[in-house]
Amino acid sequence: MKCIRWGLVKQQMSVQLLVRTLNFFSLSLFILQPAVFSAVGMLLSHAAGNDVPDLVYSVIGGGIMGMWSGIVFTSTYDITGDRRNGMLELITGSPTSLASVEAIRTFTNVLCGFFAVLIAFSAAMFIFDYSLNGANLWGAGISLLILLFAMWCSGVFLANFLAWSRISGTFVEYLEMPVAIFCGFMFPIRVLPDWMQTISGIFPIRWALEAMNESLLGMRDVRYLAEHWLLAIGLCLLLLVATNWLQNKVQDKIRVNGELSSI
Amino acid sequence: MIRRLVRTVRLYLAQAWLSYHGRFSITNPFGYITSKLGFPFFLMIFFIFMGKFVGFSDPLYIVIGNLLLIPANNGMAGISLAIGEERGWGTLSYVLGSPAPRAPVFIGRAIFYILDGFVTALLGFGIAAIIFRMNLGQVDFYLLTLCTFLLAITASGIGFLFGSISLITRDGWTILNTFIQALYILVGVNFPVDALPGALQKVAYCLPLTRGVMAARLVLDGAGWSAIASLIGGEALVGSLYIAAGYAFFLWIEKRSMQSGTLDAV
Amino acid sequence: MKSLHTDSSHVFLFFIKRKESAVKLRLSVLCVPISNTQILSTYDRLGHLDFVALGRRGEMENPAIQACSLNKVFKTKIGLWKIKSKSTTAVEDISFEVERGELFGLLGPNGAGKTTTVKMLTTLLLPTRGTAKILGLDVIEQTAEVRKHIGFAFSGSRGLYNRLTAIQNLNYFAELYALEPKVTKKRIPELLELVGLNGRGDDRVETYSSGMVQRLHLARALLHEPEVLFLDEPTVGIDPVGSRELRQTIKNLISLKKTILLTTHYMAEAEELCNRIAIVNHGKIVVMDTPASLKKRVSGDSVIEAEVQSAKAPILLDTLRGLDGRSMVKLDHSAEPEKLCIRTAEPEKVLELLSPFLNPDYILGMEVRHQTLEDVYITIIQGEKE
Repeated sequence: MKCIRWGLVKQQMSVQLLVRTLNFFSLSLFILQPAVFSAVGMLLSHAAGNDVPDLVYSVIGGGIMGMWSGIVFTSTYDITGDRRNGMLELITGSPTSLASVEAIRTFTNVLCGFFAVLIAFSAAMFIFDYSLNGANLWGAGISLLILLFAMWCSGVFLANFLAWSRISGTFVEYLEMPVAIFCGFMFPIRVLPDWMQTISGIFPIRWALEAMNESLLGMRDVRYLAEHWLLAIGLCLLLLVATNWLQNKVQDKIRVNGELSSI
Repeated sequence: MIRRLVRTVRLYLAQAWLSYHGRFSITNPFGYITSKLGFPFFLMIFFIFMGKFVGFSDPLYIVIGNLLLIPANNGMAGISLAIGEERGWGTLSYVLGSPAPRAPVFIGRAIFYILDGFVTALLGFGIAAIIFRMNLGQVDFYLLTLCTFLLAITASGIGFLFGSISLITRDGWTILNTFIQALYILVGVNFPVDALPGALQKVAYCLPLTRGVMAARLVLDGAGWSAIASLIGGEALVGSLYIAAGYAFFLWIEKRSMQSGTLDAV
Repeated sequence: MKSLHTDSSHVFLFFIKRKESAVKLRLSVLCVPISNTQILSTYDRLGHLDFVALGRRGEMENPAIQACSLNKVFKTKIGLWKIKSKSTTAVEDISFEVERGELFGLLGPNGAGKTTTVKMLTTLLLPTRGTAKILGLDVIEQTAEVRKHIGFAFSGSRGLYNRLTAIQNLNYFAELYALEPKVTKKRIPELLELVGLNGRGDDRVETYSSGMVQRLHLARALLHEPEVLFLDEPTVGIDPVGSRELRQTIKNLISLKKTILLTTHYMAEAEELCNRIAIVNHGKIVVMDTPASLKKRVSGDSVIEAEVQSAKAPILLDTLRGLDGRSMVKLDHSAEPEKLCIRTAEPEKVLELLSPFLNPDYILGMEVRHQTLEDVYITIIQGEKE
């Protein structure tokens, strides 16, 4: 553990919170957006004639949506903002690698996103009388930890594109909804057509989230859960390998095209 | 007289084009289409699957609602940013410090966003008709065009209002974004306004778009002018009120900022 | 690559030869008399050498900065439908060396390639061709090592978190440069004092003036006590008093044995601070020397400017034909009244020639002064244009 520079982690996290997270925009992303998605889910359910909405997908799913949007947008604005105010150049020119900085920042974003999930859980329990009776708590807990890891891996992977160039950065924003669809943030994967279910298999978030939702709905089949966890972790590791390869490419690319400080 | 008219028209168009081009600086056609249709399209798909899961039987209802929100979004977000970002870029002082009349400066910004949103929505309808096999056989296209165009214009009222708010707070964009999200619940995009609790229904009818979206749905169901006239009239009235409020707010902020010197403070 | 120092009788030859793997290098050192440097060409012909450097006997230290044939070409894509690639050469074949403890100035007009050169030397940009070394470390291959030894500050208000205080900003960068907390705690007040910001450390940067922001940039660049400092137009946008204070701070740094590469538009600043200057234009070094030698290099060292009656200007020009070939006479028609500008090493002779015309019918006013670096700069840059 000595190789981790705790001072750097602490400093990056506090700056991330002070500069980017504790503002109206981020709070809207992490709190209001999940509330809106949850409301749409529940009102759709009401319009479809259901008396009781599905709280796991509609309410807690809204929290997952908020966590994901928060990671995508905060990461986008982190690097775009740094590029705009000249910070990206200074960070790249320091002996600390941009990859380390991105990893810590994404970790902070994931923690903030976790806050959105906690709020959604609280809303489900205290406003809509959601009960954890019957839920597989240990299964849900482990799945949630793996989900946070998968979110972090995905965030770090996407951050590379933002550093790569301004143009590729804008496309990361468009990935927000497709990932939400393929990973089944507010509906089970079985709702998707077969070909989309096949594609969704490549996203580690999908496996961790499915395991968490099924655990909350009472799934106790250890084999089913273990398969999901292993798949999620395996895919996360693959994503980290790809991230590492990409980071080296990005390091060279950003020093060739001179886009480090261009607005 | 004619010279003055030509000058005013030129000023409107120049404001419109420069403001639009300066903000987007579109680099290629692919970028344009994805930036305009990408996010709304995937959001629509997301809502469709949400609807499918809860047993909402009519995916086309969601498709139409989301397509109609494209021109509205363009009007709201585009215009709001076109006005608000002047502050961020530090160009607001130069715009307001110029002797140009205020109405073209203000309203000129909207023209291309309205046209752009309108074209994008029509394009969206075309794509959706192919993907979701929408039956557009009985639809009166003139009325559909009118509804879509009207939605783009009335939504610009919200854009003006929030754009003006952006001139005095750096959180203007966030406030608008939150408001736009609320529209997905309130104006009957994903489910009928009747499904809302009573108090929210009253709020919905005080907003632009609600009646316009209803009128467009009726047109898509094959209704004629007589069935939608009152809705169109109501939509135009509410939209005009928002545009007037936005313009009045803009003038008030200009006056206030001259006294307090807070124009370009970011 | 070869780097020659010919002012010593012997040289060390460093041969670094790559083995099969690019990572493993074999270093050989050979001491030869300077007259035997043809040995280099023999080794070159063998084609085995990846790198050859020469060092003076008894002086094993590398120069602080070595730029060797640096080139930078930017490629951009233009067009809406048919996308075309466009190349812009920002830096073309720039070579120079800066000794340790030296303050070296890069001067040139906007877009000359100064900032691009600095960005290549600070590892922020990869050269398209050529190499550069900082304290003997390659900026392309040994990026991480180079970054530990250099500090840099660019002009303008960018590069700081405005919503944070100066101390919070400095703490942030201290961690990026892996400083021990104890060291950071001690260094930050020292640096704030050095740059004249003591007492303002707890204020948010958004409340700072341009001059204060620039000084904070300097403090940030000095946090990890770098041996080599790159300052890109540090006094742009600062009032005269602020500029003077900043120049004094830079002088203090030189007394602390720092090596500084400074880019600037202000000739007086370069003249006051720099040991040597390179004037850059269109991505190339046009001339490189000490300020004093540069001033001598361009048509003598005095400037005489006379405001003349337009109608009589031809007579005065005729009279000045008697000057030697090194003097330069130029009539500025655009000035009102017209201005005669003479650069010469023999000002007495000019005055003697013009003395019969020293009355308002011919000459309205006259000023004699020493040639400044600005005169040299303008002569060189205008000469390039012509």
